[in-house]
Parts: sequence; C-alpha cells; structure tokens
Amino acid sequence: MSTIAGTAPRGQPRRRMRVDGWRWVGRIFLVFMVLYTALPMIWMLITSIKSGFAAMQFPPQWWPDAPTLASYQKLLDPQNSVGQDFLRFFWNSLFVSSVTTILSVIVAVPAAYAFSRFTFPGRNFLFFTVLLRNMFPAVIFLVPLFILMRALGLVNTHGSLILTYLTFGLPLAIWLLKGFYDNIPVQLEQAARIDGATRFGAFFMIVMPLSTPGIIATAIYSFIGAWNEYIYAYTFLSKNEQLTLPVGIQRFFSENTTDFPGLMAASFMMSVPVVLLFLVLQRYFVRALTEGAVKH
Amino acid sequence: MTIVTGKIEARSSLQPGRSGVLRKIREHRADYAYVLPAIAVMLIVIAYPIYYTIELSFFNTPPGLQLRDKIFTGFDNYTAILTSQVFWKVTWNTLIWTLGSTFFSFVLGFATALALHRHFIGRGVLRAILIIPWVISAVAASYIWKWIYHSDFGIIGAVLVGLGWTARPPNFIDNVSTVLPSLIVVNIWREFPFAMIMMTAGLQTVPEQLLRAARVDGANAWQRFWHVTFPHLSNVSTVTILLLAVANFNSFIIPWIMTGGGPSNASHIWITHIYELAFGRQRWGVASAYSVLLFLILMTLGYFYVRALSGNERKEERA
Repeated sequence: MSTIAGTAPRGQPRRRMRVDGWRWVGRIFLVFMVLYTALPMIWMLITSIKSGFAAMQFPPQWWPDAPTLASYQKLLDPQNSVGQDFLRFFWNSLFVSSVTTILSVIVAVPAAYAFSRFTFPGRNFLFFTVLLRNMFPAVIFLVPLFILMRALGLVNTHGSLILTYLTFGLPLAIWLLKGFYDNIPVQLEQAARIDGATRFGAFFMIVMPLSTPGIIATAIYSFIGAWNEYIYAYTFLSKNEQLTLPVGIQRFFSENTTDFPGLMAASFMMSVPVVLLFLVLQRYFVRALTEGAVKH
Repeated sequence: MTIVTGKIEARSSLQPGRSGVLRKIREHRADYAYVLPAIAVMLIVIAYPIYYTIELSFFNTPPGLQLRDKIFTGFDNYTAILTSQVFWKVTWNTLIWTLGSTFFSFVLGFATALALHRHFIGRGVLRAILIIPWVISAVAASYIWKWIYHSDFGIIGAVLVGLGWTARPPNFIDNVSTVLPSLIVVNIWREFPFAMIMMTAGLQTVPEQLLRAARVDGANAWQRFWHVTFPHLSNVSTVTILLLAVANFNSFIIPWIMTGGGPSNASHIWITHIYELAFGRQRWGVASAYSVLLFLILMTLGYFYVRALSGNERKEERA
C-alpha cells in the first residue's frame, strides 16, 4: 500500500494534495487520540511518585518537587501491614486468574472443535446458547449464584470465583476458536487419519498446533477478564485475606480516602501484569480475531 | 432461531430414509462429549440463576437473606417498578449512557483503526499505547479518572483555571448535569480500543486487489473507503456495535466506583440501580423483577446479535 501511495503521485501533483489532506487529518486525529489515551495514565504515574502532601496542592505540581517511591515501597514491603495486604491480594488475583485461564482453555478447545466439525442435532441451538451468555450482566446472576455458591459451600473460597469466571470467558473463547477450526481444512485431519492416527491423535497433532494463536488469544482474554473482575469478587468474598486486587484496592482506599499517591501506585501495579501480558501477545489476539471471528 | 431449525432440516434431508431425531442423537452421541463440559458449566451458572430470578420476581422478600420466608405477591413488583419515577430517570440515563458510549467508542475506534491501517514507523508502538486502557482494570480506570476530575486537586480543573476559562475548578462528578457525560468520557476511554482491535482485524480482510482496482478506475480516497472498504466491514461493524452496546448496557464498575449512582440518581443506570436495590436495600423481589425486565430487553438485543453472527455463519458456508 505504501509503495503505491509513494509512486503514484509523482506525475500527478493534484492527487498528492488530496492524499496528503487525508493523511494530515489522520495524523492530527491520532495525536488527539494518543493524548486522550496516554495523559490520564501519565498523570497516574506522576501522582504515584508524589508525597501525599504534594498531591494535595492547587495549582498541582506538574512534576513533583521531590519525587519519591515511598508509595511503591509501602505497597511492596511485606513487613508493613499495607504491603502484606497488597501482596496477598496480588497473589490471590494471580492464582484465580491462572486457574481460570487453564480451565477455560481445557473446556473451550473441545467444545469449539465440536461446534466446528460435528453436526449433531441441537448443535446450533447449543452454540447460540453459549454465545448468549455474553449478553447478560453479572448483576442478574448475583443473587441466585450467591445462594448456589452457599449451597455448594463455595462462598468465601476462590472456587466460587473460578467457576463463575469460567463462564464469561467461555463464550468468546469458543466463538474465536470455532472460527479458527472452521478455517483449518478437514482434509488435513483426514490425511492424518488415513495414515493411522486416531481422531484424538489427529486433533492433537494437526489441529492443536495450527490453532495455537487462537488458544493463546483465548487464554489472554480469560486471564485479563478474571484479573480485572470486580463485582463477583466484591459479593462472594468477605474475608480480607481472600480478596483479589480490584476489591482489595477499593477496600484499602475506602479506609485511606486521601492517599491518592498510594491509590495511583496501586492502580499502576495492578495494571502492569495484564498490560505486559497483552502487549507481548497482542499480535496473536489481533490475528485470532482476523482469522477466527472476523473473516468471512 | 428459525434459521437454526432450517439448517438442521436441510442437513437431515441429505440422508433420506429413517432419520428420526432420536436416532440422529444416538448416532452422534460421542460428539456431545466434546461440548458437555462447556454446557454443564453454562447450565449451572446460567440456567439455574435465570429460573431463580424469574421465580423471585413474583415474591416480596423481607430484608435479610431469609429467602424461605418470601411472600407471593403476583405482579406487584412489576407495577411498583413501572410506576416509580426513579425507574424512568434511570432508564433515561441508561439510554444516554449506552447510546453515547457505543456511538463514540465505535466511531473513534474505527477512525483510529483506519488511521493506523497504513504502515509507518512507530505504528506498533502507537497501537500498543492505544490499547492499554482496554486492558487495565475498570477499577483502576475509575480511580484514575476520579482523581483527574477531583473537585479541588483535579488536573482538568487546574488546566481550566490556568487558562482563565473558569474562576474555580468545576465540579464534574458532583454535579447533576455534568456527571453522566463525564462518566461517558471515561467509558469511551476504556472501550474505543476494543472497536479499534475489531476494526483493525476487519480491515485486514479487505482485499487489496479491490482497492487497487478502484484506484485504477479513478476512485479517490473517500470513494474507495465508502464503496469498497466500508461495505466489506458491515458484518464486523454490526458485531462490534452490538458487543459494545451490550457491554455498555451492562456496565457497572465505572458508575459504581466513581459516583455510586449519585448525585440524586443522576448517574444511576439500570445495573447499578438493581445492585443497590438488591444488596443495598435488600429488596430482592423488586431487584429480580428489574432483572427480568432487563432480561427481556437483552433477549431482544440478543436476537439481533445471533442474527448478525449467523449471518456470518451462512456466508462462511456459502463460501
């Protein structure tokens, strides 16, 4: 595309004007969007290295007179009660999100494969039922699920969260993966089976490796969803030592309502793992969407 | 759903003769093993709650979770909701919130995807920066923006005063008329990257040859976009808009953390209102009736969602 844009206008100055016009609109727009996106995050970082006193000034210090990492030290110090809580919340979030992710992949892969390959009665109905889960807000399920979890003895355990989180990761996971399997030619599997592989063998040796980007995308999606989930964790867990980060941070802040540097530092550290994970693997995500969900 | 049955019939007609449904189910029973785990989880966590919510919506429940003591009241909960003023206020808020957030998230996301479509140095970095708000937790986002909007030390207020536009920093989220737009700005900040990712993926499927052919035929940039690119993306756009609309309709965290629905219900949307009714005021019956109404609205949206998706499906099959 760039080569065409570069060569075509040489003989036609008029068209270059027009192309450049759109290019400038695009550039200015992008600058605006980057500012909109980045400034709040930059302000979070700047605030997080202020002292509590420096943050509470008008007009604000655009750059702190005395930058300090005190807020981060406090949050990461296992000797300190705030640090103890924060590290525990962090570990809880990591545990719940990881288990959810692994289980989602285990459940979604065979389901997506079946929806793609087999034509059993009720296939479409079941497929759309799974997708419909996306439609419903957490609040609808809160009361009955709370009662159900109590009946199962799961209230105040991480199990209640994992079981719940599984279901909102699954619909998109199954949908994405199904798109992937649809695009893998059946002939590849048939060839493998002619060569003596079982159905499962063909699946593991041929289909799984080809759908790795889809599986990675699915895993990222589940992990981020679980890491950031708030409302179920807020309702199902009441013991301090079990809270996950979003709820933990909220509780921390409702006790220290003026510690904005601490809050910004906590928000930053809560975001780091998911942002890193996503940035490292984002090309898989876009590719999965392109090849799985969007292609037609 | 009509499409679904149509498809099954079309398939079974391929194998004429003894084709009872039961027989087919028996023939395919191994296939169900693959979807069983997914369906089981869904049943526990979806079907049962839906049933329970519908049941509860016809009962009056005294405060406290002693739900065994519920009293059957018929449609009282529903009439109470539909005749209350708060209901209409909240519904209006939800409408503005959902439409405003969805429209701007989609337009900004799509425009960003287009602006980033052509290769240039640093494109990957820009794209990465733009995606970050979507990845970070809504709780963190709410606190970041709460601090930005802060009525005494907020940075926006400070900038406005510094420019001499206002004498004192404006109060964005404690003001009935500005609170909802302020929260929508936060929501768009978090959601436009999703539209951007979807549309980026969509743009990669637009055939390059068609664009080249259009260029050879003398189409300008706008015509190429309007007549080639855009029609190609109609399906992705529909799905993206629907997913955004549903996500926005169902949002909870941003209004809940930033304002808790206040001041005087100005930022309550359906979900926060239901949550408050149930867990704040312990009016489980009314909250359930609200949920059932919500459910009906979502089913309507869901019908279009499924239609958009199965539109994709049918195209795939024809291809």
